[in-house]
Amino acid sequence: MRLDSITDAIGDTPLVRVDPAVHGLRHIDLYAKLEMLNPFGSVKDRAAWHMVRPGLTAAADGHRTVVELSSGNTAKALSLLAGLYGVPFKTVTNRIRVPEMRDLLLLLGAEVEELPGQTECLDPTSTDDPLTLFHQELTGSADGYVYTDQYYNARNTEAHAAGTGPEIVADLDGRAPDHFVACVGTAGSSSGVARVLREHDPGVHVLGLVAHKADFIPGIRTIDEVQGVGLFDPATYDTIETVTADEAIEGMVTLARRCGMPAGPTGGAAYTGAVRHLRTLDAELTERRTAVFIVCDRIESYLSYVRQRRPDLLGRPAHRNSLATLTEAEAAAATGIGTEDAERWIAQDEPLVVDLRSPFSYAALHIDGSVNIVDELFAELLQGGLPFSKSRPVLLACPVGEQSARYAALLTRMGHPDVRSLAGGIIAWRDAGAPLVRE
Amino acid sequence: MGVPLYLEPRLTPRLTSLLRSGRFLHALVGGLGSPLNVVLPDQIADNLTHFRDVYRTHRLSGQVFFAHKANRSSALVRRLAATDAGLDAASLGELQHALGAGFTPDRIMATGPKDPEFLWLAARTGVLVHVDGQAELDELAALVRQYGLPPAGVLLRLSGFASEGTRLLTRPSRFGTPAGELGGLLTTLERYPDELRLAGVGYHLDTTSLAEKAVALEGCVRAMDECRGRGLNPRIIDIGGGFGVSYLADGEQWERYTTELTRAVMGRRPALTWRRHGYGLWHEAGTLRGSLALYPAHRPVAAEKYLDALLTQPAPALGTRLATLLLEGLCDLYVEPGRALADQCGLTLARVLEVRRTGAGERVVRLAANATDVALEEHGVLMDPVVVPADGRRAPAAGGPVGVHLAGNLCLEADMITRRTVFLPYPPCPGDLLAFANTAGYCMDFRAGEAQRQPVARKAAVWQDGRDGARERRDGRERQDGQDDGHGEVPWRWCLDEEYWPVAQQAHHPRHHGTPAGGGA
Ligand SMILES: Cc1ncc(COP(=O)(O)O)c(C=O)c1O
Repeated sequence: MRLDSITDAIGDTPLVRVDPAVHGLRHIDLYAKLEMLNPFGSVKDRAAWHMVRPGLTAAADGHRTVVELSSGNTAKALSLLAGLYGVPFKTVTNRIRVPEMRDLLLLLGAEVEELPGQTECLDPTSTDDPLTLFHQELTGSADGYVYTDQYYNARNTEAHAAGTGPEIVADLDGRAPDHFVACVGTAGSSSGVARVLREHDPGVHVLGLVAHKADFIPGIRTIDEVQGVGLFDPATYDTIETVTADEAIEGMVTLARRCGMPAGPTGGAAYTGAVRHLRTLDAELTERRTAVFIVCDRIESYLSYVRQRRPDLLGRPAHRNSLATLTEAEAAAATGIGTEDAERWIAQDEPLVVDLRSPFSYAALHIDGSVNIVDELFAELLQGGLPFSKSRPVLLACPVGEQSARYAALLTRMGHPDVRSLAGGIIAWRDAGAPLVRE
Repeated sequence: MGVPLYLEPRLTPRLTSLLRSGRFLHALVGGLGSPLNVVLPDQIADNLTHFRDVYRTHRLSGQVFFAHKANRSSALVRRLAATDAGLDAASLGELQHALGAGFTPDRIMATGPKDPEFLWLAARTGVLVHVDGQAELDELAALVRQYGLPPAGVLLRLSGFASEGTRLLTRPSRFGTPAGELGGLLTTLERYPDELRLAGVGYHLDTTSLAEKAVALEGCVRAMDECRGRGLNPRIIDIGGGFGVSYLADGEQWERYTTELTRAVMGRRPALTWRRHGYGLWHEAGTLRGSLALYPAHRPVAAEKYLDALLTQPAPALGTRLATLLLEGLCDLYVEPGRALADQCGLTLARVLEVRRTGAGERVVRLAANATDVALEEHGVLMDPVVVPADGRRAPAAGGPVGVHLAGNLCLEADMITRRTVFLPYPPCPGDLLAFANTAGYCMDFRAGEAQRQPVARKAAVWQDGRDGARERRDGRERQDGQDDGHGEVPWRWCLDEEYWPVAQQAHHPRHHGTPAGGGA
């Protein structure tokens, strides 16, 4: 395959059958539409390209900025597309809740503005709703911007009516599936595909999935939030059901570990939501049916999302020389030394003074002559063995003397003959009036 | 009507016990009139210990200042004076009140916009002054010099902290000095070495967002470094208030309610509010517009848990956990919670005067109180009142649940206690009390006025002997209270708010009023 532009790689994504041994449906063939294989990594590539394309050349000539409200895949696709034309891209979002996405957008060259949170002392008469202000700014200086407006732009839906929908029909030998399942964010993909499928077969059942209200699934909306989406029309869906973040992650794990599909949370949500919905129907079926769900994007951007909700999925065993292996008794037996004695000891025996605080705090104020090895780095060093000679005594210091006592115990266990911990830490040192320097 | 859309208030065992003491409450309102504010001083002492616990887990030192503005009560302030808390006074009156309640100046901080009298009394007594900017520094220094006062300790209130990477927008604030202009403030300070002493820096942001506060807190740590770089030796970072309160017991109720409210605004179900008020939402061409102007009433992370969550966040640029950054930077942490310290510390009682139906068939309950007495609506806080039936009447088995509208006692169309249709488990009758729980933070006396010469609510302090916070903690668990009015309860005692002193808690004190006839026990 040889292409003139990366944009030619958008679309024509594969439709892949999920092994019945995994989903357990006896009469239904379940297919995943792998939108994660679009070049920028998500279903949004199609909509972004279709929405921004008409304005891009003019933007490049007229020094305009492409703007969108997106904290995820649309912003990612638009950054790359804007970059292709040398046009700046700015996204305005309610707090980006997936840290990897924030860094990724910055890396791709996007300018990111995050809107302020709700006020704590609410003023019901206030007129400065941040989103309203944003829209005012855009309409006030329309010349400066190309605003793709994904929640209202009909071209978002069209991208899928022209691409995603017909591709599914073609891959099913000209037939629409009996069931179509999609998560609803801007409603663009679900509405566009549903329209095409219904044109082929008015009997197709469309299941829209939204996030459970108390939950957060990046990329999709809750049942209330979806009301504020211009492209959302409840008539598009035969059924709307909710999925929880846990279900999304469960589905994600199944797709990744059993199906060879490294899908993100909404792909997982669509899978779980599809199987849950179809299972009851399956029990009563006698003839074969087909169902299609959309895998919107890839797994890689969601590591911290998973770490926060399901740390067990990322579990790692503790290392031999780590603080976690220290027993209460060992920790309690560490040698402590008070400020006054420590000052005398430093003057007499010149122990190596190790300050375990972060470089920023160390730079602000520290014990004269000390070296700074930040806590995490020290932990890593110790995994390899003792990082200094046994012939030199060591004084460890941290803010209140807790971490340093634990490290002192660990070093003792590792065979160092004279490690002491500054009792009460740097704070006790300061409170005793002992000198701290700033160099 | 389907399932009644209850929004039941979150209640500590102490408030639950009080609400079960129907005779006691009716006797109080009988004697002191409706509306009546009731405060529970022992609760605020408990709340303080919860904040202290967070300090302890993070090994942080510093002080917790009650933002007095949340409630005018003397009882709450005097009860706190008997603990080790601090107090944040935002006016001359509040400062005088705190000093008179027994707060020594080393436990008081003067905040907010200040007139010369306020500033002078603060400097005269040696209270720490949280200064807004350049002009206030000059004014304070001039006062100290002119009146030969001891050097005044100052905290610099900063705002507009810059974030790295993405641009975190913050609502513009009228208060504080942009963090980028700290240098100028320090230059001013250096001009007054004998008048002013830099104690630290601080902020107060009116936002629920942890991310914004994390940027500000890290900004303060950097500001401290800048101060030290200029040879100054500040120790305090003051992160203000805004820790929030969770008003509702059940998050599911909140979710169900807001979903139904959204549907009502979209015209997909019957109205849920008086005159189809949308609480900031409206409907335009099939799409929902606007944003919900309501306090997030169910908050799993509020008050001391919110502080804990903030301290556990990594600093946005340095990456170190914020608590660690404070600890390592040898900083004392000051906080100024108002709403969060007053959580569960009071309720407002109003007598039902009339129940009638409008032409449109709506059931309207008129109360002997108005919207300024129970300023829930003003703060966008939605909660159901608890019905306390009139003496002797039992909650009827039949007749409930009902949707009612709560109207005030002013001759004003807009005087609705709430614009929401409130669902009650059974229809109230004239003579019943409606108890609005958890109004001590801003909702009780911040707005109350004397429009139409309607009486302003009086305030009573209530407590149970032998149930002060300290004792309860020693027991390690809350008491289980009896189910019935008066049975198995520790009796409630009361006095007028202005007559409360911590010593009044001891039984047989001559000035306390004990239990009204037939009440409590
Ligand atoms: C990861 C992810 N999944 C699903 C969706 C939903 O797609 P649509 O906007 O077409 O409803 C989005 C879009 O926001 C998304 O970013």
